[in-house]
Amino acid sequence: MLTLGANAPSVTLPLAFVLTGLLALCFGMGWLVGQPELLAMYHYNPYIIALTHLFVLGGICSIVMGAMYQLVPVALETKLYSERLARFQFAFHVVGFIGMVWMFRVWNMKQVGHFGSVLAAGVGLFVYNVARTLRRVPKWNVTATAVTAAVVWISLAVTAGLTIAVAKCSYESAPALPPASPLGALLRGLRSVAGFTSQFDALSAMHAHAHLGSVGCFVMLILGVSYKLIPMFTLSEVQNVHRAAWSIALLNAGLAGSFITILLDSSWKPVFGLVMVAALAIYGWELVAILRARKRRTLDWGIKYFLTAIAVMVPLSVLAVVLCWPGLERNPFTGQLENLYGFLGLMGVVTFAIIGMLYKIIPFLVWFGSYSRQIGRAQVPSLTEMYSTRLQAAGYWCYLAGLLVTGAGIVASNATIVRWGSSLLAGSMTTLVFNVGIMLTHFFKPRLKPFPLQPATAPIPA
Amino acid sequence: MTTNQLDETTVLEILRRVIDPELGCNIVDLGLIYSVAIVGPKVAVVMTLTTSGCPMHESIGLGVQNALLNLEGVDEVEVELVWDPPWHPSMMTEFGRAATGAGSF
Repeated sequence: MLTLGANAPSVTLPLAFVLTGLLALCFGMGWLVGQPELLAMYHYNPYIIALTHLFVLGGICSIVMGAMYQLVPVALETKLYSERLARFQFAFHVVGFIGMVWMFRVWNMKQVGHFGSVLAAGVGLFVYNVARTLRRVPKWNVTATAVTAAVVWISLAVTAGLTIAVAKCSYESAPALPPASPLGALLRGLRSVAGFTSQFDALSAMHAHAHLGSVGCFVMLILGVSYKLIPMFTLSEVQNVHRAAWSIALLNAGLAGSFITILLDSSWKPVFGLVMVAALAIYGWELVAILRARKRRTLDWGIKYFLTAIAVMVPLSVLAVVLCWPGLERNPFTGQLENLYGFLGLMGVVTFAIIGMLYKIIPFLVWFGSYSRQIGRAQVPSLTEMYSTRLQAAGYWCYLAGLLVTGAGIVASNATIVRWGSSLLAGSMTTLVFNVGIMLTHFFKPRLKPFPLQPATAPIPA
Repeated sequence: MTTNQLDETTVLEILRRVIDPELGCNIVDLGLIYSVAIVGPKVAVVMTLTTSGCPMHESIGLGVQNALLNLEGVDEVEVELVWDPPWHPSMMTEFGRAATGAGSF
């Protein structure tokens, strides 16, 4: 017998993460419209680091974590280990990322470290919760492998980020404290970490940290989860399990090598960069095979958002190979290309893909909360009936145009063009917010209709 | 005075009230219902889903129960979810194919 809620957590938990993420993305877009020069100059400055952490931690991470709490148990046919831990993590996460963004902006690295520790405590709870959930998975598959890898990489990315923050702090009070006292021991330990980390070039360390988080967590999840979701939404199936497994394995191998070679600014960077490009090419090959085998011919706009984001990986990969080529001259133009690389990676691939998936996740959560107990008793809407597909399509074109115009503005180092582009991106986000608003109204005003007529059963004379 | 006699056709007709909200089509025309057994006031349904790990599986199962318990003469509903044989789009009816945008097979 089936029981409601056997695997999925309550709707409010993932929805809290997802709506927080959406709010952070909107705030970030608004910030970019207000300060477009941030993308028209080199990215090693407090404002762009603050803005990036707002997008990455506040926006993308919040949405990804909320979606994982909902989808990992359901997609992997198990139960979330602890919903309570997840609620604690939400509090740590929100306090942590808001504090970090604010302190990056005013460049107070000591406070970045403190708020970063709060966020890291939350990530620790997240990792523990997902790891315990993964231990219960009855049938291991490529999606479970990718989720595991993403959890490992996000732990390393947070550790690397905290280490970088530690290296930027001074520890004047350390000698004055007794070495045996807890605070004294902690400060001496942090000073040692800072001493070790300072051996590496600060910019290389930041780039290595960024790749750990963005590729290791976000791109890894995009690949792994899409092997489950794209067949589900398009009525298809994975065509070659080995090919799918190779894409995940190569992405892991390439990322491990890239982290070290980027950190050391080694001439081996292109080798591991090409390994990651090979992983993405194999993924693209499998994705095309899945789509060719699909039985649902029409692709909805959510899938179109997602697939366009995947297509952005092509220019992004070319740019990655160019930027990691040994001997590439570092000048203002290549600096802008680095900005373009980061922008396309976070906004062109990850955020674009996430928006597409939000059009699946949010209606599902709202539908689950409003209609899952009513299905069969009254007419309930389908997921696409819960928002405006016209707005969704307008948002798609607006986002695509925003990417192109902002990208052009970044390359030209022109703040005015960046402002136009980021205004288009903000316009696209507005369509998403409107649509999310329409979806949420179903919580307060469910659109239930009575069935027209109960079918007549065959009458027999008494 | 009349009494209602339950048969498979009636059960399938009532199950058309249960939709897969992602695909926007009812579960009968999607080909998700494998068998229906009626023993007195008890109805046992063997069904599948389009994919294992479908996020809607609990809701759809509950929908089957809700719909059938609404039917006069039904006191108990048992829903068994099976994965063998696995669902394939060729199991859809013409209506199901049209509703989901799937082609012919």
